[in-house]
Amino acid sequence: MNDLAPITRDSEICQVLSSLPEKFIVDFANGIDVARDHLRVQRQRTGMGARFYDGFTGQGARRQAEINASLIDGVEGSLIWLGELTESLALSNYAIVKVNERLSVITQNVTTLAHYSANTRQQLQKLSTDLNKRCDQLSQQIDRIDFEQRAERQLEQVFNKWSAGRFNTFSLAGRCYAAMEELRWGVFGDYCRVHDNQIRQGFLGDLANRAISQLTNDARIEAAERSDMTFWLAKPTARTQLPDATDALAYLGDWSNSEVQPFVFSISQLPEQRPLKFPNRCNANRLAPALVSELFSEQYL
Amino acid sequence: MSDMKVGLVLSGGGAKGAYHVGVVKALHEVGAQVDAVAGASIGALNGAILAAAPSLQEGAVRLETLWMDLANTSPLKFNFPAYIQLLAASGLHLAGASVLNEIVQKAQHIAGGAMPAGISNFLGGLNDGALSDTPLQNHINRYLDQDALNSGLPLFISVFKHNHALRDLLRCAVAELGIVDSAASEFIHIQSLPLLEQKEALLASAAIPLLFAPKKINDTLYSDGAQGGWQKMQGNTPITPLLEAGCNMVIVTHLSDGSLWSRHDFPDATILEIRPQSNISREGLVPDVLGFHAEKIPSWIEQGYVDTMHCVGRVMKASKARVELKASEAAVVKSQDTARIDQEMQITMRRIVSLQ
Repeated sequence: MNDLAPITRDSEICQVLSSLPEKFIVDFANGIDVARDHLRVQRQRTGMGARFYDGFTGQGARRQAEINASLIDGVEGSLIWLGELTESLALSNYAIVKVNERLSVITQNVTTLAHYSANTRQQLQKLSTDLNKRCDQLSQQIDRIDFEQRAERQLEQVFNKWSAGRFNTFSLAGRCYAAMEELRWGVFGDYCRVHDNQIRQGFLGDLANRAISQLTNDARIEAAERSDMTFWLAKPTARTQLPDATDALAYLGDWSNSEVQPFVFSISQLPEQRPLKFPNRCNANRLAPALVSELFSEQYL
Repeated sequence: MSDMKVGLVLSGGGAKGAYHVGVVKALHEVGAQVDAVAGASIGALNGAILAAAPSLQEGAVRLETLWMDLANTSPLKFNFPAYIQLLAASGLHLAGASVLNEIVQKAQHIAGGAMPAGISNFLGGLNDGALSDTPLQNHINRYLDQDALNSGLPLFISVFKHNHALRDLLRCAVAELGIVDSAASEFIHIQSLPLLEQKEALLASAAIPLLFAPKKINDTLYSDGAQGGWQKMQGNTPITPLLEAGCNMVIVTHLSDGSLWSRHDFPDATILEIRPQSNISREGLVPDVLGFHAEKIPSWIEQGYVDTMHCVGRVMKASKARVELKASEAAVVKSQDTARIDQEMQITMRRIVSLQ
């Protein structure tokens, strides 16, 4: 008859023994054991004598009344508990509804946030792309400026070198040619190679002007003053002449063609028979641009 | 809850009082508190030992010691029913050996000749002294220390106003037949009595008519409290004084199968009954009450323990479920207070929307 597992001092229910149980709960739960006690006795008193005795003394009726009362207690307890359970369930249901409502709001808000986040991300990506592009542009500009500055610095360095007399071992035209050849093989030449004609012409114009200016300084004549080509090709005096200066110029200009680059050819190779296109008389204004044109034409860069 | 006041009713039933040992032991193990005790007959004696004990645990130990001593007493040394021995050791004087002899003879017949041979001859020379000098007496004297009892749990006992032994028994028989109920038992608060009368009152509650002489309390003779209000076991199940003392939870023990005591007579009280979930009777009414077979005592102790665990466990499981339901409801209600956070979310979302 004992349908409950025995409890021990470690059982969880011992934790609530210190609180007063509600009466209807005690009547409800305990009534089962009361009714069971009476039922057990009732079942054992089925003999003729016992039935007569219980009927005569009224104990049978009283026992049945006790069983009935316990059952009523049980039903009442069930009703109370069921009512409270139902109320509790209703409360739980309303709570679930409220949770669902809040969940819907939260879902909506999360969706809004997700859109906001995605939009922000897109904007950030666009900003990043724009910034990268701008940075690239700036970087290119910086590179270009740096390139230009290095080209200008080389131009400056070469003409400083010329004005300092470093090329004095060459003839007047040879100095101009040597300076331009150094520029052509250096950063200045690279700069002219990678830039379009418009930018290149600006630089080459500067180069021609500075060469004219330096030539006139070295020759101590006016830029427009024409002189015989022997003047321009005349070797310097023995004091400043290096033994292999003529060979060096010849080596530098061995690529030239008397027809296509008559100035370069004539100045570097010093042929006895000068090309037909090479003038007999020339001024600085003619010599310098002619060399620029032959050395820095797009074709030979 | 701190305002819980628990009363324990230990009903009468002679040697079946061993059942109380298991009850008290189980109540201690499930962590129950007991704030007042009421007892009838053997329930009064057990209740007194419990009330005088410093704790429920110690009370359980003392009761078990006493009853196991009784169970282990050699039947060759004392050929007396265990309950008679216990009462005699407690100080009750036999009313007359001849009466006991007659009772034992009848009981022997009912028990199917289970009593040792020659007991009738022994009973012929019986006197009170033969029953008083037992080791049980030492236990009882120690456990029923009057100072401890007076500073212990409130103890109420039921006593029945003595008229005449045979007449009292006859009235019980008439009540048993459902003709006229016996007069109600009276309830006495032991600690309110003068010291000298306290033990007399305890013994009066257990003084089985004919076997033991009634006791005089406040110039009135009283005997076994179980006799009063026979039909509804009013005297044998003294719950009323505990309710009057303010107990809001009463644990009631029964020492008979299918006791007709009714919890429904106390509609306002919260009552937890510990009823036998299997037959408590072993050999029949008289042998069980008088304790002809002391070896049955451990089985009653065990049954009291198991039944208490069962009955209390069932109530406490239901109660725990209720407590958890209420707690979860409160938690649900509390968790619904989200107005502030919801408002904060709305404000934040409005800001976000305005930024888009």
